[in-house]
Amino acid sequence: MARVIWRIAPWLSVMAVAAAWELTARSGVVTPFMLPSLSVVVARIWSDAASGELVANLGLTLYRALAGFAIASAVGIPLGILIARSRPVRWFFDPIVSVGFPMPKIAFLPIVTLWLGFHDVSKITMIVFDAIFPIVTATIAGTAAVDREILWSARNLGASDRDLLREIIFPAALPEILTGLQVALPIALIVCIVAEMKMGGVGLGGAMITASRFAESPGVFAGIVEIAIVGYVLVKVMAAARRRLLLWHQEVLAPATV
Amino acid sequence: MKAALVRYAPLLILAAAWEAAVRSGVVSELVLPSLTDVVSAWVKLLRGGDLWLNTAASLYRTGAGLLLAIAVGGVLGITMAWWRPVNALASPLVEMLYPMPKSALIPVTALWLGFGDGSKILLIFLGCMLPVTLGAFNGARASDQALVWSSRSMGASRLRVLWDVVLPSALPEIMNGVRTALALSFVLLVSSELIAARSGLGYLIGFLGEGGVYDAMFAVVLTVAFLGFFADRVYQRLERRVLRWRE
Amino acid sequence: MAGTSQIVIDQVSHTYRPPRGREVLALQDVSLEVRGQEFIALLGPSGCGKSTLLYLVGGFLPATLGTIRVDGKPVSGPGPDRGIVFQHFALFPWKTVRANVLYGLEKLGLPRAERERRAQAFIDLVGLHGFEESYPSHLSGGMKQRAAIARTLAIDPEILLMDEPFGALDAQTRSLMQSELLGIWQRSPKTVIFVTHDVQEAVYLAERVVVMSARPGHVKAIVDTRFGCSDPSVFKSKAFVDKVDEIWGLVRDEALKAQGNQSP
Repeated sequence: MARVIWRIAPWLSVMAVAAAWELTARSGVVTPFMLPSLSVVVARIWSDAASGELVANLGLTLYRALAGFAIASAVGIPLGILIARSRPVRWFFDPIVSVGFPMPKIAFLPIVTLWLGFHDVSKITMIVFDAIFPIVTATIAGTAAVDREILWSARNLGASDRDLLREIIFPAALPEILTGLQVALPIALIVCIVAEMKMGGVGLGGAMITASRFAESPGVFAGIVEIAIVGYVLVKVMAAARRRLLLWHQEVLAPATV
Repeated sequence: MKAALVRYAPLLILAAAWEAAVRSGVVSELVLPSLTDVVSAWVKLLRGGDLWLNTAASLYRTGAGLLLAIAVGGVLGITMAWWRPVNALASPLVEMLYPMPKSALIPVTALWLGFGDGSKILLIFLGCMLPVTLGAFNGARASDQALVWSSRSMGASRLRVLWDVVLPSALPEIMNGVRTALALSFVLLVSSELIAARSGLGYLIGFLGEGGVYDAMFAVVLTVAFLGFFADRVYQRLERRVLRWRE
Repeated sequence: MAGTSQIVIDQVSHTYRPPRGREVLALQDVSLEVRGQEFIALLGPSGCGKSTLLYLVGGFLPATLGTIRVDGKPVSGPGPDRGIVFQHFALFPWKTVRANVLYGLEKLGLPRAERERRAQAFIDLVGLHGFEESYPSHLSGGMKQRAAIARTLAIDPEILLMDEPFGALDAQTRSLMQSELLGIWQRSPKTVIFVTHDVQEAVYLAERVVVMSARPGHVKAIVDTRFGCSDPSVFKSKAFVDKVDEIWGLVRDEALKAQGNQSP
């Protein structure tokens, strides 16, 4: 009996929050402008989906965020390995990375807009600029932490310099690299949404800001729900990909958390 | 001193390249003001007082939001680790909301509290709470069972153990979560000020950009970037001090 | 060329330079000759540089002074003629046992069927039949070390360098692995340099035990320890116990010195 309760408890709390939202909105404690009821928001999402607007916004936001994320990975991982392995490259990039990582790079958004205009290029550039830092940092850490004895073993078994990079260092650093990617993906989404809000137009962020300009709060809350779902799904997909790629890793044996 | 110069030389090279690119005319001054122009614009801003007022507004918002997030998030995380019913109820919500791109909250907080300080503080509080919660939860849950048992066997009460054993051993993870929250707070602050504000550094950047005063805009952007970097360095110092016992 | 030395270590010194701090003289003026197919043990207190000496022979670290020759040629880098086994296994954790063993065979460029055959033979030899598709993280410490030994033996090195290979194992597994190693060595003799800080292990396995001094390490004594018997009952024989006592006496002085060095 107790076990059954523990099993359904998670769903209870989610349902309780949904119910509380609906009841608060209907009770008249707050105006519908401040908090439209959940059913109104769901209806709004439904009508957006039916009109095709949702697909257009969602598709464009995902395209920008994922394109930026992909470019950041494609550049960041090789760069991180290079920084960890080569002394001159490290000398040049180390201060840039360590100063750039903690900076709120989103402040550069107006500059990027000034240079590249209001189109996708500037949004994607901004995403790359922001998402690349955790990827590079994690790759450096993972590459630098590869066990000396593993490298020596590979050398001993006849691996060349190129083999070492591709067959040993990359897979050995993969857990850390994936951690970096898992940090970078939500950043890509956050930046994408902000860029869309700042520049307006099509996209989930743009749709939200338009709704808020017209004081149309169901649109704003529909946006929140949609973006939350997108974030949740992407994070879960990344976690599943990680488990799939790291079948060999000890952590897969341990119970998963969050 | 000399070591620092060698270490940060690449940044000086970049700065020199910037200046050279503009001076030589390779890059138009209309898109990239020269570094020297940016510096003199910065000095002018400092003299004028606008920069000070807006910096104060921004720092107040980050500080208040972050402190709230640390207090509430820390308590929530430890409670989740310590009482199973709380965990069962709260962790699915945390799991569901944690991955949410926090910037989506900007229009909602503006809808609720307008364009002033309140909406920024609420946004930073909501956005930064979960990283702290998660850090506190993981830290407290991982606290050494042997330590808990041995202090219980020495007669410590449950609350005493929480204070004496669980909190200190959760501290490294909590501080780690706070560091994530600190970085996030700057991102949310600047984003929300860019989009929905009438004061603050983010607002100033947007305002100067729309007015075409690019040298001053660059100066403020670099100020914000430096503040974020500086806050992180100061925090790292603090972290090392607080966690000295870990060595 | 039986009787001549396969490995010649000639007045070798090695200075270790940590990223921060003063450089450390780890080995000073070490000279040692190892005959082909001989089993020798390097014994000494921790920090005496016995592992460093092994890494020099392996070609992983450069000698600061002096030369090391293997089969007459100076060592200039790692090579498959000198296989190495580490204390912490150094298996590739993302590869299965079979893929780990196959790795070196692929680098040798053997045809596929031959690779598969040889990998299986060595997996069977170390008793890992049935675990070919397991990842290292799913194996016990002893099984990991068996896999690492199979991986090294599979490329058929003339020389086997073993760096405290049983140091991370529990006592029962360790003694089992010791007699299995002796069995393998007697069936297919190789030159073995075996680093350990366990006197019994050194006396039981090796034909000669090289006792090294505290840092900076040099050769303090070389003791003949041939018992010609891999039966674990040898542990109880008078001759064995006496030999262990003799060597233990030599090592203990150095261990005390090493401790004195650490806290002056």
